[in-house]
Formats: sequence, C-alpha cells, structure tokens
Amino acid sequence: MATFTFLDWFWVGLFLLLMIGSGILFYRLGKRSESDFFLAGRGLPWWLPASSVYATHTATDTPMWITGVIYKNGMAGLWYTFFCGWAAISAFVSTRIFRRSLAYTQAEWNVVRFTGLGSELLRGWMAGWQFFMNMFVLGWVGIAMGLVCEYLFAWPTWIGLIVFSLVCAIYVLAAGYWGVVMADFQQGVIAFLVIIIVSVWGIHTAGGPTGILDKLAALGELDRINPFAFTGWWSGDFPIAWFITMMMIAFLGGFGMGTTIDWYVEAQRIQSAKTVRDASYSIWWGTIIGLVRNSVWAVAILAFFVLFPGITDQSEYEMGWFRLGFDYLPAGMLGFFFAAILAIHLSTVSSHLNLGALYATRDLYQHYVNPKASEKRLVQVGRISTGILLLGSFFYGLIMEDITSWLIFALWIMAAGIWLPNILQVVWWRFNAWGYLSSWIANLGFSWLVVWILPELNLIPHLLDYQQFWILMILGAMVYFPVTLLTKPEPMDHLVHYYVMSRPVGWWGPVRHEAERRGLIMSNGETVSGADQASRPADTYPKAP
Amino acid sequence: MIRRKWSANEADEWTKEDWIAIILSPACYVLITLGAALSILLQVSGYIMLAIGIVLTILVHLVIDPKLKAISNEYETKQQGYLKELEAKVRWQSTDKNTS
Repeated sequence: MATFTFLDWFWVGLFLLLMIGSGILFYRLGKRSESDFFLAGRGLPWWLPASSVYATHTATDTPMWITGVIYKNGMAGLWYTFFCGWAAISAFVSTRIFRRSLAYTQAEWNVVRFTGLGSELLRGWMAGWQFFMNMFVLGWVGIAMGLVCEYLFAWPTWIGLIVFSLVCAIYVLAAGYWGVVMADFQQGVIAFLVIIIVSVWGIHTAGGPTGILDKLAALGELDRINPFAFTGWWSGDFPIAWFITMMMIAFLGGFGMGTTIDWYVEAQRIQSAKTVRDASYSIWWGTIIGLVRNSVWAVAILAFFVLFPGITDQSEYEMGWFRLGFDYLPAGMLGFFFAAILAIHLSTVSSHLNLGALYATRDLYQHYVNPKASEKRLVQVGRISTGILLLGSFFYGLIMEDITSWLIFALWIMAAGIWLPNILQVVWWRFNAWGYLSSWIANLGFSWLVVWILPELNLIPHLLDYQQFWILMILGAMVYFPVTLLTKPEPMDHLVHYYVMSRPVGWWGPVRHEAERRGLIMSNGETVSGADQASRPADTYPKAP
Repeated sequence: MIRRKWSANEADEWTKEDWIAIILSPACYVLITLGAALSILLQVSGYIMLAIGIVLTILVHLVIDPKLKAISNEYETKQQGYLKELEAKVRWQSTDKNTS
C-alpha cells in the first residue's frame, strides 16, 4: 500500500482540474453540431488525432499486459505488441480510402461501399456490436483501474472503477470529441513523460543497462534480450509459425478496414483529421509513438525481471511496471505517477465513451429512429448515449471476472474468420454486402465449433491460436466466396460513384473501365472536372422506415 | 526516379511511390521498435537497426508526402459535395442525379 503526501495529492488534484477544465473550455465548440460533438468538425491537424491514437491505446491494463508478455518471453514478447502494425500499411492505404469516404463510422462506411438491404443489415449489426463492445472495453479498463487503486490504497475495486470514469464523463458529456482529443493531447504528453521517467528510474535501480545484462548473464537468462529467440518452427511457446501468422495478420491487415478492433477507434480519428494527408500521418505517427513506448517498457520490465526473478504467479508479475514506480520513486513523485496512470486511464475511457455514443447516435438513432433530428437534438442524444454507456460499463466492470473468457472469445471471433473479408471489401469490387454479411455469420458459428465445442467433445484437439486462425479463415472462405459469387454484384452506378470518390486500391478493373466509359475518369487516371456531381448514383436508396 | 511533383488528379492513381511507402513502412516500425529497445541496452545491433529505421522513415515521408499533399488538395475541393450526399443518405433522402 502506498502512502501519499500532500504534494502527491496536489499533483492528482491539479491533473483532474486540468481535465475537467478542458471540457468546460471546449463546451461551446462541442455543442455546435453532431460533426463537432463526434469529429471536432473534421478540422484537426495530424498531431492532435495522432496524440489521441497514442493516448487511447495506452490504457490502464496496457502496462500489465506488456509486462506479462515481456516478463514471460523477454524481448521476443515485443512481437506480441505488433498487433498494431496494421497502421504501417493502413496509413497509406485504407486510412486514405476511408478518409475519402467521409463516413462517420465503420458502420456507415458499409452503406457507402455497398447498397440496399444487405448494407443496411451490416450497418445496423455493426452499430449495435460496436455500442456493446465499447461498453465492454470501458468495463474492462475500468476494473483494471479498480485493481490498481486496490493495490495502492486498499480501496474496494468498485471505487477505482466508478470514481475516475465519472470524472472523465464530465468533460466527455460537456465537450464531446473536442474534449476527448484536447484532453488526450495533454494526457498523451503526461503519460509518455512519466512512462520514460519511471522506466529510466527502474532501469537505474537495476544497475543500468550493463547491470541488467550482467544480472541476466548471472541468471543464465541472457537470451531474453534476443527478440528472435524462437522455440522452433512449430513447437514451444514461441514458434516461428506463430510469428509469421501474427506478422501477416498485423501488417497485411492494413489493406483492409476492421482487421483489428483498434480500427474502429482509429476510424473516428481518421475522419476528424482535416485532410487525407493529416489522417495518414495521424495514424502512422500515433502508432509508432506507441511502439517506441513499448520498447522503453520492455527494457524496464527486464529491469524488473532481474530485480524479482522467478515470479510464477501471472497476476503478480503483471504488476511489475507499476511496482517499479510505486516501490522506488521518491516521495512527492508518487502522486505525479498516479496522475499519469489517471491520464492513461481517462484517455481510454473518454475515447470509448464518445465512440460508443457516436454509433448509437449516428447509426442507430439518426438513421433508424429519427432521420429528421436537428443538430441540437443529435448532440442531446449523444450525451444521453454517453450516460448509458457509462452506466453499462459499471455493470460490465463489476461482473467482468465472470464473463472475461466469453468476451475474449467475442473479440477473437471479430479477428479470425473475418480478417480476409475485411480486406476483400476494400480491394475487390465484386465482394458484395451479402458476402460480407455471410462471413460474419459463418465466423460466429465456426468459432464456436473450432474454439469450444469440437475440442470439448474431443472431436478435434485444442488448437493454438494461430492454428485456429488459419482454420477459421479457410472455413469462412468456403461460405462467403460462394455467397458472393452466387449473388448479384453491387449496382454498377453505386460502385462507379464509390470508385470515383474513394479511389480504392486493388481489383477494380470493371468499375474503373465503366467510370472511364462514362467520362468520369480519363484513361490516364485523371478525374474529369465535376465528376463528383455527375457520378452520383440514381435513386436506388430505400425509402425511410 | 522518385516523382516529386504531382498534378492533383495524377496523384489519385496508385503508383510505385505508394508501393515504396507500403513496403518500407512496416520495416520502419520493426526496426525502430527493436532498435530503440536494444539501443537502451547499449547493443550495437540496436544502434544499427534504429539508424536504418530512422533513415527509412525519412525516405518514406520524402517519397509519399508530395503525393499525399496533391491528393488532399484535390479532394478538399470535392469534400463539401460528398458530405451533403452523406447527410442525405443518413436521412434517407434521395439523391436525384443519374450517372449515365
């Protein structure tokens, strides 16, 4: 348990005041319109959404998770953190294409890329799923904060879960995304500085870099600094087959949209950037800052390893980085460290509160309930949705231990069997709404079978995660390819319009030729003046419900 | 060899400059991440990786930045029209104009 002095509480109070202040400061901007409440008016320079990308993906549970994989695997554990590597390619491919679509959300993108009933089903499903997922993530990171407060102050976990999320809700409710992104910038700077300070302090405590290497050698663990310490092609904890699968999922996923759960958060940041170029750089730089942070963390965790080798209890060694701060920082700095943990926590909570509310407001309320809603009403609904998400997250957080395995499964089904369809929807003109929808449905069924039911019945062995990935991908393809080819392509009018607007990469030959034939694009690739107007499809859109 | 000047419309095409960025960008991520960690541990291999990663990052941005600027400038002129269309779509309003 930590003992805080007056100076420690001063840092915490000052930080909370700064965060709430940003909400009040940007209140007027946030309430102007739906676009302001959820996308800051689409006018941000690249470094603001970049800082938000970084801050949002530095959550309270991130240092626990990274400590876990590095303590267990050494530097090789860094490869686990490359799940965000999709941004390397996405920044120059799918980010660019998505920004040109102008869709507020990935759910809305479905009706830009596809059309008709299939696209509406996809939009409704994805919006509902994302509302639920954001509530779940809020509960997840909330309970991680509860555990940190329990470790520090011996508070019951619900206090850490509820109190700080409530503080965060003040500025999210007041200023919407303006409050989120401005607070994220401050939080990102504070969190990065403190991560460096605590990590350097921990490395120094362990004897500096040479001290760490000497102690690793003495322990016979020098191989821990080798990031390529594989355990063979197929066997052990860290096989090359896993590595190749992981890198493929991570990097090639950048050609698609939604290939990892992070995409849905980044989609909002992409649309809040003022230009296509700003969107690209925000994703690229926001992610690389996170990766460099992981590098610093990794060395600090090696320091923790040499200070406390041989811990076998995962829940104990996962707190390693926090222990470096709370056990070794001098009095007066503890509060600063705790304020940084709050920064890490609030940046994630604020983003998911606003993002979940965006899906509820734009895709569910405005599109399906009240299409004629005024801007004022939409902002009101945004605030009400934020409140519902907050309350729901408390509920999830308090029952989290009972449902975690179910929800990890739910996350997994989003990643495995629909990884390839998420790419195909971007790069292949012929892939249609029914193909994409069928991939989601098939993946739901196959995941249950492959991950849980068949192994429980001893019909197949329990498979490693990378093996599950390949099997789910093949099984899914056996459904969505036939469905796609047996149903009609999207109407050519719609595809031509989408092509001229978004200029997607990949296999779009027939659509491009049609756009050229209609004189919307010249054969050398130039767009004809006024093509954006002329390419608008005929009224093939369904009437309001 | 690497094109630095683009007309707005030419930049919309997927060209070798895009593919250079697409191929080198993951290498930048890997080299900078591993290089930074190993550099803190005073490993020569870390310094080398980090240096190559930084040089490649500069190269990627030199190659792709002129193109991204051109794409952005061109797209900004059309954005308002597309936004109106998107608002009509979310409100189930028809879009009257025909393509053909």
